[in-house]
Amino acid sequence: MIWRIGLGLWIAGGLVAAFLWAPLVPVLEETTRVLYFHIPTAWVTVVALGWSMVHSVLYLRRRRMEHDHQAAAAAEIGILFCVAATVSGSVWAKAMWGAYWNWDPRETTIFFLLLVYGAYLALRSAFDDEERRARLAAVYSAAAFVAVPFLMFVVPRLYFSLHPDPIVNPRGKLDMDPRIRLVFYAMLVGFTGLYFWMQSLRVRVARLQRRQHET
Amino acid sequence: MAAAWAVLRKECRSEWRTRYGLNAALLFAVTSLTGVSLAVGRLGDRSDVLAGLLWIVLLFAALASLSQVFVREVEGQTMTLLRLVASPGSILAGKLLFNLAFLLVVELVTVPMFLVLMGAPPPRWGTFLGVLGLGSAGLAVTATLVGAVIAQTRGRAALFAGISLPLVLVVLGAAVSATRAQWGGGSAGNELRLLGAYTIAMLAAMMLLVDHLWED
Repeated sequence: MIWRIGLGLWIAGGLVAAFLWAPLVPVLEETTRVLYFHIPTAWVTVVALGWSMVHSVLYLRRRRMEHDHQAAAAAEIGILFCVAATVSGSVWAKAMWGAYWNWDPRETTIFFLLLVYGAYLALRSAFDDEERRARLAAVYSAAAFVAVPFLMFVVPRLYFSLHPDPIVNPRGKLDMDPRIRLVFYAMLVGFTGLYFWMQSLRVRVARLQRRQHET
Repeated sequence: MAAAWAVLRKECRSEWRTRYGLNAALLFAVTSLTGVSLAVGRLGDRSDVLAGLLWIVLLFAALASLSQVFVREVEGQTMTLLRLVASPGSILAGKLLFNLAFLLVVELVTVPMFLVLMGAPPPRWGTFLGVLGLGSAGLAVTATLVGAVIAQTRGRAALFAGISLPLVLVVLGAAVSATRAQWGGGSAGNELRLLGAYTIAMLAAMMLLVDHLWED
């Protein structure tokens, strides 16, 4: 309970600091603030999908339903955060590039990612047998994660993109204004905490549903 | 390896008996090509559009049939028998080789027809064949793995395209952009490397996961 209140206060503090304390970056101006929401959601997407892959592999090794619950919950929440990252990026693109959607390499690949994990959920719904669903969904999830590094890291760097890493971060390493950096890291930590809280709730629901199903 | 070879021979023989998959794919490729050609006419000066159309025609023709190798076994109730005589690895390898050969046959018919019907400029053959080869390999590996999973679901054929397409989109994107580059006179090196790396990564995932594909 304590840490949940702490998490709420932490994120609220980050929100206030993002709007009132952290300075703006030239060129990006007011849209700088999307940084504190957009990048953490994209980061949580990768964490969640990685979590899903790890538990898929663990399921294949140990055959415990617990891992299947973890993998499915992580994929669901990963998609949710992926949508949040896509929408926040899209709103920012409207402000900076003049259109919500341009098929910029970043937009393209995050959209592919949504499709890949949407397919994972569609696949899960197509089995009658629980054990078979867990096993084959784990196989698909592990194979699908092969696509993640290509989509998140390789393709966007291969093609010319208007995505502003070079403006916020001119020398290719984390070289931001210290106040921006502090708020950014605080939000990163806050969103990661939020993710793990959501994950534990979702897994508990799945566990209860299975217990109800068994009795 | 010998078992994989035997699976490939068996696939070829049973496909040749009915030619069901091949007929379906070729018919699909030719009719959709006709449709595209009728709708947009000759596009000799628009090689950027041509590259996209070529891969969409190939992709959909392929997706209509690539899951057949497993669906056929399940529907004919021969999967258990096949698993008694061959290891999962050699089944998957044999089916993969068959799908690759299948794609090459479909391309052998579709690509020349496409070039002629659409009035495409002459391709740079080295790069063009390289893209076709690597693109087919990526497509075959992904589709074979997904096909093995899909064959065990309720929806089977209906689900296959929807589930495999997202994983194939990387291949499609890179192949289209490489095909466009070879027509436009640019370099396609990055795309070819991307295709190669993706195919190898998928192949590695497939080899690691093969023992979990069939159990009951």
